[in-house]
Amino acid sequence: MSNIRHSLQIRHVDAGSCNGCEQELTALTSRAYDFQQVGLDWVASPRHADALLVTGPLSDAMARPVERVWAAIPAPKWRIAFGDCAAGCGVFQSAYATHGGFPKADLVIRGCPPEPGAALQQLRDAMRWTAIDPNRQVGD
Amino acid sequence: MVNPWIRQNVAMKEAHAELLTLTATRDHRLQATWLHPRSGCQEQVTLEASQEYFPSLTPMLPEVAWDEREIHDVFGYIPNGHPDLRPLLRTPRWPDNFRPLRDRPSARPAWRDAEPDNPALTVEGEGVTIMKVGPTHAGVIESGHFVFSLMGENVLHMDAHLFQNHRGVESLLEGQTVDAVGAIVTRICAADTVSHQTNWALAVEALAGYDSGAGLTLGRIVLLESERVLSHLNDLAQIPAGVGFQVAHQQALAIKEAWQRSLQRLYGHRFLFDTVRPGWVVPVDPEDLLRLVHAIRRQWTPWRRLVEGHHGFNDRMAGVGVTTLAEVIRFGGQGVVSRSAGKVFDARTLLPLYQDLRPVPVVESDGDVRARFSVRVQELEESLRLIEQAAARLRAMPRDARWCPPDAVSGQVVVYTESPHGLNVHDVAVVRGRVLRYHIRAGTYRNWPLLAHAVPGNAVADFPLINKSFELCYSCTDR
Repeated sequence: MSNIRHSLQIRHVDAGSCNGCEQELTALTSRAYDFQQVGLDWVASPRHADALLVTGPLSDAMARPVERVWAAIPAPKWRIAFGDCAAGCGVFQSAYATHGGFPKADLVIRGCPPEPGAALQQLRDAMRWTAIDPNRQVGD
Repeated sequence: MVNPWIRQNVAMKEAHAELLTLTATRDHRLQATWLHPRSGCQEQVTLEASQEYFPSLTPMLPEVAWDEREIHDVFGYIPNGHPDLRPLLRTPRWPDNFRPLRDRPSARPAWRDAEPDNPALTVEGEGVTIMKVGPTHAGVIESGHFVFSLMGENVLHMDAHLFQNHRGVESLLEGQTVDAVGAIVTRICAADTVSHQTNWALAVEALAGYDSGAGLTLGRIVLLESERVLSHLNDLAQIPAGVGFQVAHQQALAIKEAWQRSLQRLYGHRFLFDTVRPGWVVPVDPEDLLRLVHAIRRQWTPWRRLVEGHHGFNDRMAGVGVTTLAEVIRFGGQGVVSRSAGKVFDARTLLPLYQDLRPVPVVESDGDVRARFSVRVQELEESLRLIEQAAARLRAMPRDARWCPPDAVSGQVVVYTESPHGLNVHDVAVVRGRVLRYHIRAGTYRNWPLLAHAVPGNAVADFPLINKSFELCYSCTDR
């Protein structure tokens, strides 16, 4: 039996990525990874989300929309930085129109872009923590 | 008396030349580089602008409307007579007078406390409703903001507000050493990364006078075509998803996954990042490549039979999101979008890179979703053929000696490749081994305005389908 207690519903926002992260996030829905069978999914509305996943170095034009999506997610909630750009260690950190990454992330998934198998494992690990103690931040 | 800048550029267009780039420099110089598609020759038109003004080409050449707005945003030069000089990539959050390519910012500007939205062009009148979509979306896609003017379900007008993903790549590249550029250029766009990397490699090699050997050239062709297969598989997977044809969507994603795992094994990266450098290409065993193509065909052929034999799917795509040849020519459309409407142009036929492999441009005439789908299907098979031919030649090829670019390379050059999204151009100026100016004009940039023309007249519910059939890059465009 799986030790998955609940589901983790994720809202994705692209904030200046090269589309590599988006393609790998889409791959998670394919039959090769099928992340829905373990209780993970993308949701269309922040109201349905447990977590906000951001890709890209946080372009200035997307900084406010990202925070607005975050504010619309009901607590308890978690912040996920996906990929090196969002993690603050990509090649575009010092470009003028970026904020250098997605700040205050509870979970950081590294890679340029992250390999979907490894990303799936990290998301599943995060599900365990968020299930045991909803108030515990993933990175604690 | 028409201004010579306008007259010369219009003459280029009338001679059926393709616009490679229209860009400016810090010293008030404007430069348009045109490509003659028969001879492959480039021709440049330059203008020394008087102070901050230059005569707008847009009334005569609507395809440069965005280029001139961009020059206005990042340099502050004003195109006199431009019919729509709203900000393109600039937002109300930019400080007054902040012109990133004129000022060379060493630090981030002090962003103003304002919303990032620019004014939208909408239709006014009784019964017209305005629907805003984005910049955040319900699915996993890149960020863009669209303002639809609707009458009932029908789209009257679509105003595309892109550049939500603008990072400032061209500014970041300025001042970089030749060694440092590759890692940045690779990541402009994951879907066109090999094309961007190859452009940079071709630029440095041209400036240094290095003549790459056949092994290097064939290695690059294999990578460029592998990227086309990957990108087309992705796009072909998305179009069925747009009409709820889940079986075709999932099966195409599975083929794409198999392809990416093979690329990872052969080249060390699922998107082929960091595989091409000046004087270098990641080595590969031709036998592995041939086995790979053979394996992918066994999955691909049944999938092609599935989608082509599904009448409901084909009927659903026919007649939706039509782009005409006249519009393609008027707006300088590129790539699959333009070939689906009857324009016979594929930069691969001009590139010395491809030598006698003779890629055949795939052309259809209907200009609808079905035509764009069909062109991608045929191009994918043509790419598999090119990979096989190149791999067969690579067998007998000795490895080229490693070449490193000299430290103090200097000069200016305009280079291009045919990316999966069309003519991809880099306009590069380097002084003693450091980048002075780096301008990137991806094929997608010219196709966005075409999308805005293809959508009106269709039901708004068909926008996702039309959008997926264009499959335009945001990251290449926004930079």
